[in-house]
Amino acid sequence: MNRGRLSATLLALLCVSIVRADPNSAARVRTFASLPDWTGIWQSAAWPTDVSGRVPGGEEKLRSGLQLIRHPPYNAEWEANFQAGMQNTAALAARSATFKVCSRGFPAIMEAPWLFQIVVLPEETVLIFENQQVRHVYTDGRRHPPKKDLWPTRLGDSIGHWEGDTLIVDTIARTSEPIAPRAWLSVLSDGAHVTERLRMVNRNEIEDQLTIEDPVALAQPWRMALEFKRVAEMNRMYPFDCKENERNPVIDGKMTIATP
Amino acid sequence: MSRCRVLISVAALLFTLQGLAHHSGAMFDDKMSTTLTGTVKAFQWTNPHCWIQVLVPGQEGPTEWSVEMGSPSQLFRGGWKPGTLEAGDKITVVIHPMRDGTKGGLFVSAVGADGKPIGTST
Repeated sequence: MNRGRLSATLLALLCVSIVRADPNSAARVRTFASLPDWTGIWQSAAWPTDVSGRVPGGEEKLRSGLQLIRHPPYNAEWEANFQAGMQNTAALAARSATFKVCSRGFPAIMEAPWLFQIVVLPEETVLIFENQQVRHVYTDGRRHPPKKDLWPTRLGDSIGHWEGDTLIVDTIARTSEPIAPRAWLSVLSDGAHVTERLRMVNRNEIEDQLTIEDPVALAQPWRMALEFKRVAEMNRMYPFDCKENERNPVIDGKMTIATP
Repeated sequence: MSRCRVLISVAALLFTLQGLAHHSGAMFDDKMSTTLTGTVKAFQWTNPHCWIQVLVPGQEGPTEWSVEMGSPSQLFRGGWKPGTLEAGDKITVVIHPMRDGTKGGLFVSAVGADGKPIGTST
């Protein structure tokens, strides 16, 4: 094949590939244009951490802003179990003195200290956390998988839909791990069902009205409002990694510092 | 033990944790502050924590202290960057020291050789 024929062939292939490129449909473009702009970097308002990695004001200040560590509205049976666990102060003290948190389940991930981005697409809304966890909320009209095809995962299975500028999220099939770090005794049943209503209050604040329903464990629905603040001083995400330079070993039940 | 006493004792241990994001802060004594004046041996810009290794001079030679800070993104937000400190820099650091006597602690604040605070937030 001479150079002229080769060039013509390559040009033809290029044209074919351009023609075959699958552009966004007009319907998808219209849907995209109708969705709110939640770009930026966000963080739970409960975690105004400083350069030491702590919340100024200490544990008391932190706990006053956390919603998920509050006492769940348990029914009598689950409340009795909760109170029995509270009696074991030695176990609680050991756990409180040595815990490390590198990832979280749902809904704890929504009240984590980690920065996150929200990617709003016509088909799904994706929450990308700096600790490298990703939450998918499918908004393409699909339903949850049938029960026989569903198993518990840490973030559960989330589907959603838009009501104006509010994203309604429905999550089931979460694992029954403690509901949040620092709430070691707060657990829910496998049947817990969480509904969220996320909306941008203003350019710098998104709220998440979260309702937990669990007829097995709770006497009544547990409602709370989480708040996310825009992190304006960051212009990109930096991944958080627990293992890169871990220097806090637990030795004989106590956390310490290892020299490099 | 009564329910009230249980709650009080659990609350008491929780309030020693210092509100740290990544792990328990029980190993740090937040009632104590120690001031270290010395030379930066290394500045580790790493996850899950950044660290300042400080050589503090003494009669029997320098002692190395490990100063724990937050993650890189937390430092960025406080005005710190990977090049904020270099080996050989003179520094004065205030820490909450370790309860177990290990030569280390949690970062509280720092000033450079010029006497000015390092970073915009401490």
